[in-house]
Amino acid sequence: MKRAAPILLMAVIAAFVLLPILWTLSTSLKPLSEVNVHPPRWTSPQMSIQPYIDMFFFLPFATYTANSLIVATSATILTLVIGSLAAFAFARFQFAGKDLFLLVFLLSQMLPGASVIVPLFQLLTEVGLYDTLLGLTLTHAAVLLPFAIWLLYGFFCGIPREVEEAALIDGCSRLAALRKVLLPLALPGLGATALFAFLGSWNEFFFALILTSSDTTRTVPVGIGLFVGEYTDIWNQMSAAAILFSVPPLMVFLAMRKTFVKGLVAGAIK
Amino acid sequence: MKRATPYLLLLPALIFTVFVLAYPLIQNLFNSFYQVSLVRGTGGWIGLENYEKVFRDSEFWLAFRNTAVYAVAGTVLALVVGLAFALLLNLKLGRITTVFNVIYTIPWVISPVVAGFTWKWLLNDNFGIINHWLISLGLIHEEITWLGNPDTALLCVAIARLWQFYPFAMVMFLAGLQAIPEEQYEAAAVDGASMFQKFYNITLPNLQSVSAVLLLLGILWSFNDFNMVFVMTRGGPMNASMVLPVLVREYSFVFFDLGKGSALSVIIFALLVSLSFLYLKALSRREPA
Repeated sequence: MKRAAPILLMAVIAAFVLLPILWTLSTSLKPLSEVNVHPPRWTSPQMSIQPYIDMFFFLPFATYTANSLIVATSATILTLVIGSLAAFAFARFQFAGKDLFLLVFLLSQMLPGASVIVPLFQLLTEVGLYDTLLGLTLTHAAVLLPFAIWLLYGFFCGIPREVEEAALIDGCSRLAALRKVLLPLALPGLGATALFAFLGSWNEFFFALILTSSDTTRTVPVGIGLFVGEYTDIWNQMSAAAILFSVPPLMVFLAMRKTFVKGLVAGAIK
Repeated sequence: MKRATPYLLLLPALIFTVFVLAYPLIQNLFNSFYQVSLVRGTGGWIGLENYEKVFRDSEFWLAFRNTAVYAVAGTVLALVVGLAFALLLNLKLGRITTVFNVIYTIPWVISPVVAGFTWKWLLNDNFGIINHWLISLGLIHEEITWLGNPDTALLCVAIARLWQFYPFAMVMFLAGLQAIPEEQYEAAAVDGASMFQKFYNITLPNLQSVSAVLLLLGILWSFNDFNMVFVMTRGGPMNASMVLPVLVREYSFVFFDLGKGSALSVIIFALLVSLSFLYLKALSRREPA
């Protein structure tokens, strides 16, 4: 059995890789009295999903979840609409400064959040959007746009020009051709981009932390990241929140692993 | 009219990019020359005083050192681990490999905040599983407060970061490995090359450009990483794990000195730009050889 040794090694590694998640999962199912035991145990006779219910009442995770959903959904729609227009321009028009614009979008993706956060905070405060869901949504959309444009640009370039030209000959305007011909064909690409945008906003922590300051506007990552030091006595509820929050990203990853990996690799390289 | 169409299509995206990314970047530069307080508002022009304040702050130098170690050592380690896992996954042991591939990629998929949280809990001194295991194995005699100890805090954060970042290197290396033509190995086998020789003379050279990209991206990203440090230690204890992005938040929003925070942001930006520039230059110099 030449295969047995490497497979065993890989299984051991897999166990170590999953360790932090499994430990959190185990914690999320235990009552508090079983969490704070010394020495720690993996299982308890009283495991239940109670912490998953309690977390919505003890901490404002219901509001946080609603906020996360609102911000991620709106940011995704904004990103998709604005990103498609820009990607359409790049994929189907020749114009002066095209390479320069592409470069600007490429570079703005590398921009560190720490280098823009103070003026962004001042700007949002000035216009009354600090600590609002709208302010955070606009910020997320702006941060996600460059990546979305690059992804969509790739998808649009993959669709043969002839389909649109046929529509143009039939009397469609360029925009009508985009809407009626190109977008339906690009639907899989749009779907993939939408999922990336959604997850990007869903997981985002830095801007969400600094641009919000009250329980009515905080998102789930801020809730977890901010309270992790403070409510150390409810590790089971915090674990439940962490696990529940990870379900959407994991589902997307498992459902469309190949596209996911390709997209993330493309997002990094280009 | 027709010539304006592409620009009109780009306009909304440009507005967003300008307001949220370009304008703040420039405004940041202005901020850094003024006295700007979060509570008292903008005061007068003070020249380079904000920069002086940053450079005279021992916390800045500590954070600078930590960030460099965290970014460089962390990235190199992530590349080594990623390559090792990619080589394992490339052994072609049948369908089970796909399962392992999925499992090994999971840390990269979950939110950095969740990643930081799980590690913080894993390393908990009283109720965490790590201390319990180390004591059971007889490696340590009493619980270690991993994140509360200046000697171990940064190391622990770096390990958590490694856990989250290696899958990216793994995925990229795996793609690189699968692109190597089989004929090269067959030819080497005919010449009687050993496994080590094949690895050294065929595999590694073929992965050179992937490694170069990974190294740059890894260092840039880790240099900017705020999440892991903030969630696990907030830079503590006694700044032992402080890194530059967390320090920007501290200057600006904990000590309310937006001018000093902006100055530090400009320094970070300059560091990253020069780092990328030097790196690209080094790469292009090597290319003709």
